[in-house]
Amino acid sequence: LTDRLDRTRPPLPGPGRATRFPAFARLPLANGVQILAIELRRAPLVSLELACRAGAELDPPARRGLATFTAGLLDEGTARRSSSEIAAGVEGLGGSLGTGADWNAAYLRIGLLSTHRRAGLELLAELVAQPIFPEAEVERLRRQRLAELLRRRDEPGILADERLARVLYGDGPYGSSLIGDEAAVASYSRADCESFYRTHFAPDASFLLAAGDLGVEELAERAGEHLDAWPRPAAAAAPPAPARPLPRAGLTIDIVDRPAAAQTELRIGHAGVPKRHPDRAALTVANAMLGGKFTSRINLNLRERHGYTYGAFSRFAERRGPGPFVIGAAVGNDVAGAAAREILTELERMRQEPPPEPELAETRSYLLGVFPYGLQTADDLVRKLAEIAVHGLPDDYYRRHLEAIEATAAADVERVARTHLDPARAAIVAAGPADALRPQLEELGPVTVSPAPR
Amino acid sequence: MVSRGRPEVPHQLHRLANGLRVVLHEDHHLPLVAVNLWYHVGSKNERPGRTGLAHLFEHMLFQGSAHVGTNDHFRLVQQVGGVANGSTWYDRTNYYETLPAPALDLGLWLEADRMGFLLEALTEEKLANQRQVVINERRQRVDNQPYGRALERLHELLYPEGHPYRWPVIGYLDDIAAATLDDVRQFFSTHYVPANAVLTLAGDFDPAAALERVARWFGDLPAAPRPAPVAAPADPPSAGERRAELPDEVRLPRVYLGFRAPAYGAPDWYAGSMLAAALASGKSSVLYQDLVYRRQIAQEVGVYLYPTELEATLIVVATAKPGVEAAEIERALDDHLARAAAAPPDGADLERARNQVLTNAYEQLESVEGKADLLSHYTTHFDDPGRLGSELETYHSLAPEDLRSFAARHLADDRRAVVTVVPAGGGA
Repeated sequence: LTDRLDRTRPPLPGPGRATRFPAFARLPLANGVQILAIELRRAPLVSLELACRAGAELDPPARRGLATFTAGLLDEGTARRSSSEIAAGVEGLGGSLGTGADWNAAYLRIGLLSTHRRAGLELLAELVAQPIFPEAEVERLRRQRLAELLRRRDEPGILADERLARVLYGDGPYGSSLIGDEAAVASYSRADCESFYRTHFAPDASFLLAAGDLGVEELAERAGEHLDAWPRPAAAAAPPAPARPLPRAGLTIDIVDRPAAAQTELRIGHAGVPKRHPDRAALTVANAMLGGKFTSRINLNLRERHGYTYGAFSRFAERRGPGPFVIGAAVGNDVAGAAAREILTELERMRQEPPPEPELAETRSYLLGVFPYGLQTADDLVRKLAEIAVHGLPDDYYRRHLEAIEATAAADVERVARTHLDPARAAIVAAGPADALRPQLEELGPVTVSPAPR
Repeated sequence: MVSRGRPEVPHQLHRLANGLRVVLHEDHHLPLVAVNLWYHVGSKNERPGRTGLAHLFEHMLFQGSAHVGTNDHFRLVQQVGGVANGSTWYDRTNYYETLPAPALDLGLWLEADRMGFLLEALTEEKLANQRQVVINERRQRVDNQPYGRALERLHELLYPEGHPYRWPVIGYLDDIAAATLDDVRQFFSTHYVPANAVLTLAGDFDPAAALERVARWFGDLPAAPRPAPVAAPADPPSAGERRAELPDEVRLPRVYLGFRAPAYGAPDWYAGSMLAAALASGKSSVLYQDLVYRRQIAQEVGVYLYPTELEATLIVVATAKPGVEAAEIERALDDHLARAAAAPPDGADLERARNQVLTNAYEQLESVEGKADLLSHYTTHFDDPGRLGSELETYHSLAPEDLRSFAARHLADDRRAVVTVVPAGGGA
């Protein structure tokens, strides 16, 4: 070695080549389905997704969870194939099939070797256009879901999440779990599912997202053949009522009592902003700094400075309406009050002081730098296409979003923190032993204790 | 271009004078590089009374070294737009970063510094902090999780006193709390030597230039002997099946069956892995179709075979539906295992499992970090980064009879262990 090795300073890189989201095709079918597709010749794999704006925000008030339940029935029987035949067909080829829904959309996903892409597409089209909701499968999935609801009562993190959702949104959309509750699940009928499907699974509310070892033209041609049979509904569905958070007068503190718990699941949050909010990019920067990366303020404080937790995070939900902003950590029972206090202090600090320039520059650089990391696999690309499709974002959304992050200044972070972080009206939820938690949390305000569901 | 043949990862294998093995794989699809370092040390290198040390040690490797400040590892990686983490298991501990390609040197500098210059930066204060973090990790993953202690109990029943797979990777609470700086120093000096490590780079770089950089940062780290391999103690004469019932804060009973199978890499291991897939991988698998779909006595089923090198643990797990007793689930599982030992599986089940193995292999090769991890894995266990090809051949050559024979020899064993988790206070 000619030059002396200097280990004392990090060898920091110069600028690399910027990565853009790959160009993609957007093709409409005659019945209104839009295709968004990317050819990715990396591995002989394809990832296909049918996404439809039939998410849980459309659940009828007395039928919470119906969107996820209906989506879960799409692969449980068509005019041509039974539930077991559908599963065996995909899995026999080495592929995987998934159905489900989140608050924004319902989806069907198939991943398989590209040699089987035609069979995959044909099946996807059949499942979305010709489900028959067999009575026996409705009953079977109902029992499965009721058992799942029981099982979730054992999960402290889920108990805390669900209590927070209820405190923030009440009985409205975003206020329950995606899979509903016992009373709602017990009440679904086959007709409810069919009616939800007929109303909301419309071709012109749907998108075929595809990435991998495929040709876009071939895909469009086959999709046209197979999805042709999917008719538009007679009448367009009314757009969903926007989710509305309950008004909040001040800080609230709720304990979900689990007397024997070895740890406390702590959540602090309030309603956030819709996905398509003009402050989204600046909020992404502010949140990364606060709790969105390992070196965030909250994680370094709670984990590395105090040893209160294995990890703490914060996030703004990405929903059509104002979904929650949530900070979470599993903390020791004896330090839950101290941890909550530290979190509130960090929130206040975000509001009171513009971030130091080096911390801001590191955060921007992190968010821009990790972008290509999420563009590697066919599934990665399909997820990114689905985001554009479901939220109705422009084709150059990722370029604009990255540019907006790059342009975010300290004053922007301070402004969005003041506008969108509200520690004085936050909801605190702690799932853990009330005896230990109550005296600690009472120092922050009045506490409501309720038993964990039995 | 897409390879139409079978999955493979073209690579170079080099060995530095100090014994560090270096695997290089070029991939210019995106401007990314994966830096992936495996040390051939895990919880099996611990001793009773100091369990969890390998994992606690992994945490200490993120607390800075001679030239890297306490929180600087993550800070430097994230400020250039990278991601980093590590993990500990029975046989190995790994550390990895995925970075923008121009930051390769930063990744190498960080890894070389903690391989070569950790001890001078260790302090009691850092250890005290990370002990608390790990204690909270254990509570979060084990003690405050429904069914959280079941696997730990299963291993205690399945393996004899002193066997390195008897204790949990994360360790027992008292042992974590008792770990001292001397333990940490000793562990480092014994196991974190170049000859006990594999460094893989996968991504957007020129291999000759990258190798030069590796040699620059790692070449002058002193050589030290590889630690002696761990041997499992001889088994005492079989005392038959061992069982435990664990009352827990759960609504649904769950049954765990544990078996001991041949080590990862043995031909029979692959038969076991294929049998696990035939039995429980996917909704069309044998156990799912019967227990979950048709009879509806179980909420979910799983069969797992660990790729561990002293021997392999095979675990069968099923959660009961409300109103179904654990005993009924256990009987149903026993019936299926007896059937698997009596007759070869259906050809369609084998074909499905085979196709799933192939798809999974391609999926692992879609990302630079997936490829790097695979190359490090094969090099650590077999000294052969190209092992994927022969593994797939082995899978492909298996006949239905091989799966039956595996079940007959390893799943009807009176050394098995059973743990049932039941609702505390009785009744679902």
